[in-house]
Amino acid sequence: MDRQEYLRSQKEDKGRKVCGVFPAQYPKEILWALNLAPAEIWDPPVSPELAAGHLQPYICSVVRQGLELLLQGKAGVCDAFLFPHTCDSIQNLASVVNDYIGLDKPCHFFYHPKAPHGAAAKVYYQEQLKALARGLEPLAGPLREDELKRRVAQGQRVAELYGQLYGQRAAGRLACSNAGFYQAARRGEYLFPDDLVPYLEGFLQGAQGTAPAGPRVLLSGVLPNPPEILTLLDDLGATVAADDLLACSRRLLIPPSAANDPWQALTEQYFAMPPCSSKGSPFSERLDFILGQCHKSGATGVIFYLVKFCEPELFDVPILTEELKKRGLPCLTLDVELNQGLSGQMSTRVEAFLEMINS
Amino acid sequence: MNGEAPMSLANKLQFQFMKDLGAPALMALNQAGKKKRAHKPNPDFGPPLKSAKRLKEIMSRHYFLARYARGARPVAWVTSGAPVELLRAFGFYTIYPENHGALCGAQKMGTKLCQAAEEHGYHPDLCSYARIDLGHHFTGLTPAGRLPKPDLLFASNNICQTVLYWYKALAHYWNVPFLLFDTPYNFRDITDSDISFMSAQLREMIPALERVSGQKFSMERFQEVVNLAHDTSALWGQVLATMSHRPAPMTIFDAFVHLAPVVSLRGLPVSQAYYQLLLAELQERVSKGIGAVTNENKRLMWDNIAIWYKVRDYAELFASKGMNFVAATYTNAWAETIHNLDPAQPFESMAKAYGLVILNNNLNHRLNLMEQMIKDYQVDGLVIHSARSCKPYSVGQYDMKRLLMERLNVPSVVIEADITDSRHYSEEQAQVRLEAFFEALES
Ligand code: SF4
Ligand code: SF4
Repeated sequence: MDRQEYLRSQKEDKGRKVCGVFPAQYPKEILWALNLAPAEIWDPPVSPELAAGHLQPYICSVVRQGLELLLQGKAGVCDAFLFPHTCDSIQNLASVVNDYIGLDKPCHFFYHPKAPHGAAAKVYYQEQLKALARGLEPLAGPLREDELKRRVAQGQRVAELYGQLYGQRAAGRLACSNAGFYQAARRGEYLFPDDLVPYLEGFLQGAQGTAPAGPRVLLSGVLPNPPEILTLLDDLGATVAADDLLACSRRLLIPPSAANDPWQALTEQYFAMPPCSSKGSPFSERLDFILGQCHKSGATGVIFYLVKFCEPELFDVPILTEELKKRGLPCLTLDVELNQGLSGQMSTRVEAFLEMINS
Repeated sequence: MNGEAPMSLANKLQFQFMKDLGAPALMALNQAGKKKRAHKPNPDFGPPLKSAKRLKEIMSRHYFLARYARGARPVAWVTSGAPVELLRAFGFYTIYPENHGALCGAQKMGTKLCQAAEEHGYHPDLCSYARIDLGHHFTGLTPAGRLPKPDLLFASNNICQTVLYWYKALAHYWNVPFLLFDTPYNFRDITDSDISFMSAQLREMIPALERVSGQKFSMERFQEVVNLAHDTSALWGQVLATMSHRPAPMTIFDAFVHLAPVVSLRGLPVSQAYYQLLLAELQERVSKGIGAVTNENKRLMWDNIAIWYKVRDYAELFASKGMNFVAATYTNAWAETIHNLDPAQPFESMAKAYGLVILNNNLNHRLNLMEQMIKDYQVDGLVIHSARSCKPYSVGQYDMKRLLMERLNVPSVVIEADITDSRHYSEEQAQVRLEAFFEALES
């Protein structure tokens, strides 16, 4: 069942409303507890037609593609939209959609505090969680605390499975292609947890084996799109052994909280998540995370796969690259546009990079 | 161990000497040199503002003294939208990299400094204020002589998230503490929870500020500064309001320059005194019917930050057609929310004043504000600078243009450019668009 069919079946068969969610970080558990199915909008495959009338050419393709999807009326399955505060471009996109383009669906916003975080940030985050829940109730009905608790536990199970998936891959015990890995990992962008948990369990079982012996790299950036990078690495016998992608490990590898109160658990989990440019995490934390992942997975090179015009990522890369190189980790930076494939020149650079780290 | 400079008596004495004697002597010398280089008057403009001389003295003195500040006063680098009043209460000498970026842009050094940052891996698509500042870090180049290294970096993301990424990089390079005043974006109205969060952050910063400055927090001093900042910004609002008169006694291009003290020296008596002087002069011009543009026949509004390397050219071009810019969302930003400042509740009121600034507010608010300004200032047309550097200011402008036309029938033009990086400016494209705009205004 493809994504569209799945979301339609969520509505028709399960009686769930669908909430389109823009990147990146948001408390899924609240939506699940309200019986809302989140459908994340990262890189919809729509051709550029209408967004250029609303956005300047210097805006990233994640924002452009997302708006394009709405303008072409291809997000009809969604009953509402949620915009987490990820960056300036998403922030203004949220307001363009809510205030200017006359969309007749409710729009919600979720602000998460930026680092460096003081004590007030934790209090505020929890208030934001509750405000989001209150804001969604008119669409979804009242939130039951016991249901939230159940969904928080389910979220922890999902995170545990992702942890295993990433752990197995890092240990070289997954016999799946790079493309296959991310196809599976990214199912979480639209599967309801009742389906996601068995799916990930099945995938983990089915993919056990030995990884190819070729070069191992860490992939950093926003998301693995254009997906051609994955097939190229597959073709060259290289493995993405770990990642530092905003859409993936930075949101999926969540250490569980032991708190009994679900709001408290969600708060603790947010502040324990891997560091991220979009949250303003300090370089020391980002470096520790990337180095730790490389160490665990045996990755000997880092590919920064950057969406063109992505300010949060572009600002962090010079220092990260400099510091990683100082520590003996070669880096390659590629600027890409979503769904536009890889140029021959980029492929050659990747090939040369792999040769270099393998020599 | 971080990079804060220890305060020394020798540095303090040197700073004081320069403040009392060195700076005034330098200013006098500077002025003597300037008199010989007087520009030929342009008949399209009214008489120049006399206050401009004082403004130049103030800003030159500020940058001159900055050279001696490190080790004598705690030095902070601050973003334009940050609540500097709190730092003033600890005696920080403040440097505004955005103001410095504008200076570099106006002196056509912007591109060179941007390129220096690019050589260190900073992408040409990033905000050019940030690239200029990083370029300055790598090369030490500046038209201001020398900037003191900071003991503290202080940013607020009420103008953009860019400053967070940029200051985080500076903090890494210089190994100095970085404080962020995190202001949740007002997707709808500001909430009590937002205000509590912001005011709590200000309180949380006090121990770090005490440590870096070596001074104890004084509520009384803080309230005085808040009061001064309130009055200064209110004066700035009155200065801008003089442009609602016909003919307007100054242009927005003047205002771009004259806003330097309210941005960089807010909360200090010198900026308040300056705006009293400027306001008196403008009021006198209004009473005598003296316009900034000789034959003001069309009144325009500017949206976004200036194109710093084109300010003079644009001022001359528009004046030659009897067109005067009388309002701008940008200059208005330092007056718009300041009525919220209340010395009786300094933390909460600062949270409101700084949390509600234009770039931290939704686009509906911006549209309504522009509509109101168009009416108040009797604006005939709008020039929209789509600034490649600045996504929070620029995303949404295309719709804004359309909606203002629909609602008020006000013609507008979008100029694709950048604030300081002239490589993103196409003279040809701008000319074509401006010609069409001039025609629409005349029709
Ligand atoms: S790609 Fe970067 S700029 Fe674009 S939405 Fe994502 S975080 Fe924001
Ligand atoms: S120009 Fe825009 S992006 Fe750059 S610092 Fe100013 S507000 Fe931020």
